[in-house]
Amino acid sequence: MSFVRPLAVRAVTLIGVLLAVLVLLVVSLGATGFSDRMLRAVVGEEVRGLRTALAETIRDPVELERAVEAQRGELERFYGLDRSWYTRLPDTVLRVITLDLGEARTLKSSSGSRRVSDIILERLPNTALLITTALVITAAIGLVVGSTMAARAGTKLDRALSYFAATSFAIPAWWLGILMILLFAFQLRLLPAGGMYSTPPPEAGLLRFLDLLWHAVLPVFSLVLVTVGPYLYSVRTMTLSVAQEDHVMVARAKGLPEGVVVRRHILRVAAPPIVTGLILGLTSSLGGSILIETVFNWRGMGRLYFDAVAGTPDEAVIVALTFVFTLLYVAARWLLEVLYVLLDPRVRYT
Amino acid sequence: MTPRGMLRELLATGPGKAGMGLLVALLALSLYALVAFPLDFGAKRWSNPSVWADNPRSVPPVWTGLLSGGRSMPHTVLETEEPAEVSGATRTYRLRLEFEADVPPTFLTVAVAGVRYHARPPRLEVVVRRPDGTSVVLARPQVPGPRSGEAAPYERFGEGSLRVALTSGERTTTALRELFLDEYAADVPPEDLRDALARAIVSVPEPGAPDGLRLLRGSYDLELRATFDDPRDELGSVRFVAGGSRFGLMGTDSLGRDLAQGLLIGLPIALFIGITASIASTAIGATLGIVSGYMGGKTDLVIQRLADVVANVPLLPLLIFLVFVVGSHLLLIILFLVAFSWPGLTILVRSMVLQLRSGQLVESAVVIGASRWRIMSRHIFPHTAPYVLAQMIFFAPAAILAEAGLSFLGLGDPSVVTWGQILESGFRTGAVFLGWWWWVIPPGVAIVITALTFMLLALGMEPVVNPRLRSGAPAGYRALGAGR
Repeated sequence: MSFVRPLAVRAVTLIGVLLAVLVLLVVSLGATGFSDRMLRAVVGEEVRGLRTALAETIRDPVELERAVEAQRGELERFYGLDRSWYTRLPDTVLRVITLDLGEARTLKSSSGSRRVSDIILERLPNTALLITTALVITAAIGLVVGSTMAARAGTKLDRALSYFAATSFAIPAWWLGILMILLFAFQLRLLPAGGMYSTPPPEAGLLRFLDLLWHAVLPVFSLVLVTVGPYLYSVRTMTLSVAQEDHVMVARAKGLPEGVVVRRHILRVAAPPIVTGLILGLTSSLGGSILIETVFNWRGMGRLYFDAVAGTPDEAVIVALTFVFTLLYVAARWLLEVLYVLLDPRVRYT
Repeated sequence: MTPRGMLRELLATGPGKAGMGLLVALLALSLYALVAFPLDFGAKRWSNPSVWADNPRSVPPVWTGLLSGGRSMPHTVLETEEPAEVSGATRTYRLRLEFEADVPPTFLTVAVAGVRYHARPPRLEVVVRRPDGTSVVLARPQVPGPRSGEAAPYERFGEGSLRVALTSGERTTTALRELFLDEYAADVPPEDLRDALARAIVSVPEPGAPDGLRLLRGSYDLELRATFDDPRDELGSVRFVAGGSRFGLMGTDSLGRDLAQGLLIGLPIALFIGITASIASTAIGATLGIVSGYMGGKTDLVIQRLADVVANVPLLPLLIFLVFVVGSHLLLIILFLVAFSWPGLTILVRSMVLQLRSGQLVESAVVIGASRWRIMSRHIFPHTAPYVLAQMIFFAPAAILAEAGLSFLGLGDPSVVTWGQILESGFRTGAVFLGWWWWVIPPGVAIVITALTFMLLALGMEPVVNPRLRSGAPAGYRALGAGR
């Protein structure tokens, strides 16, 4: 199987990326003393629990203190607090990979759990929903309008499109979100300003889903508006440059119908870079979700990141989230590679 | 292609012309900002509330008055150093406030500075004489007495001043209530008065009017009477401030900061971020690309693997993480941006160099005996220059947007003023939800215009750069995603 090898090579590279990011995370945490503070907090928490438990059996306060101190020493050895941070490195990396980062300081999942992994897994679908919806809409508009525009290259409409693309590129989605809130939520009072459900949320079922869609309109619209411009433009340019190739002229010369020429000889050839653009858009809105979810108070991973950074910082959540973002990013990249191999026959034979 | 030729080519396109025009305008404005404001403006003035204490809070720009109709209250600062009247030991400092607006002032304060006395502190009294001949004593500010061990003359409020708000507090409420009772025989309940003190000072009671008060237009004399014990005693200056219902070109935020100043000083900072980050990242990207492509072998392998890894890192989450853990100094932020944004160009330039390396031009240079560095800098780099330049222009808005995004999350450098930070404070204090558009729209527009300037230039560069070579998304695309 000729396409297994290139995919395997990319997989190795991407695992390398994951490890590199992890090491970067752990080293910057260790070298700045963050990880020591995090572990101390964990130990402190456990010691407090132990003290209450021991106080049941040991009455003498001096004796109790001694027992607690002994336990604390044991815990510190267990978490490696008695060693310097770089000797703990492999351990910490392993803990991050398994999302075993203990408990969040203040943040909670809706079911009340304070375990970092619970909190993040609860938020993941919300972010996925927001981003994939925006992506599908962007892709649909981009493909249809972009390839149509390529046929009209050089017209006034085409030039207007290039200005729109540049402007769309220059607008931060989060600021656009603020504008949307000012206009649609406060001036016109048409759409909700933020959140995911109305208060009180409707009963489960269709109504609840519609309510969710209702709240998703503004964030999705903001995301689409800023990603569609550049994507449209790149589809148009890509299609245009393929359309000028000799094989297209040959296809036309053979007398093939225009529809077939466009579908089989232009779009099929331009497909790999077009898909690249789409996945790159996906990965960038993954990061961008931090900002857009913050603006719209959308309870996804992005908003969680903001909550963990603002106010009292929640280090464990920040580390875990950075890792999860990288993981998703790398997964999207690998998906891109798979699509590329499937779409571009040339890759299989090199 | 010569630089002159590239410029001519660029200016021949519509976007190129527009971008160049905008760039010149932005540079001129930021030059003005740099001359007009001190370099430590952010740390010393912007984040120092006492600088802005005299300004009205959260009011829209002056020019909005033209659109909404009605006479708005202009922001009025009245100051004098000379008493208008001296009788015996009492000196009266008098300032005239012409009140013709349809809305009351947002606040009224008095500030006294440079008090110097020899025995007992002067007794101060603030009086307002109203157009209908009535008058009211609004406050009796206290000047602190001598401390033990202090020798005469005693200096008070040499720096900073004794500021008294005349539109808040029980004292003013009582004084105005008595005024209305004595002069107009109207009993206005104190709880009604308490929230409308600024209106009450310039009103007469009238049942049925809003708050039970009707605005009284005309000339108000604001007086500070100071009675001194010793003829040598001095008083430096008296200042009355009547807060405007609109302020400046761009309005104010909730601390009374003049947003026009913040927007203006944000411009050179945004340009600085964009230009330094893009120069540094393109310099690194191009150099590594040329070296990687020309040297080949192990060097190539190492650089390409490194580029592969860095190119696949999620930028914004890592930026947030690093700024959060390491610190939010502006130069550090730029450094992080540069560290993650060079690989795109490296991969592009390398593929070009691979073609050039086997060409006759390089071959003949090798035959003549040119050194490797000479070949790379004199024979290879010039061919890649247009692409490198295009990437450089393309990366500037990416850096500006990324920094704005970081600032918006509250991770900006607190010692400088950036548009992202203005937006952040607006968002965090709820300006968006109160409809204070002048606080959140202009900074965003400024970001968009600055980013668009570079985008237009990049668009105009297209005829210079062969479109065939751009496969996939442009290399700056990823970095750009970070700030959006």
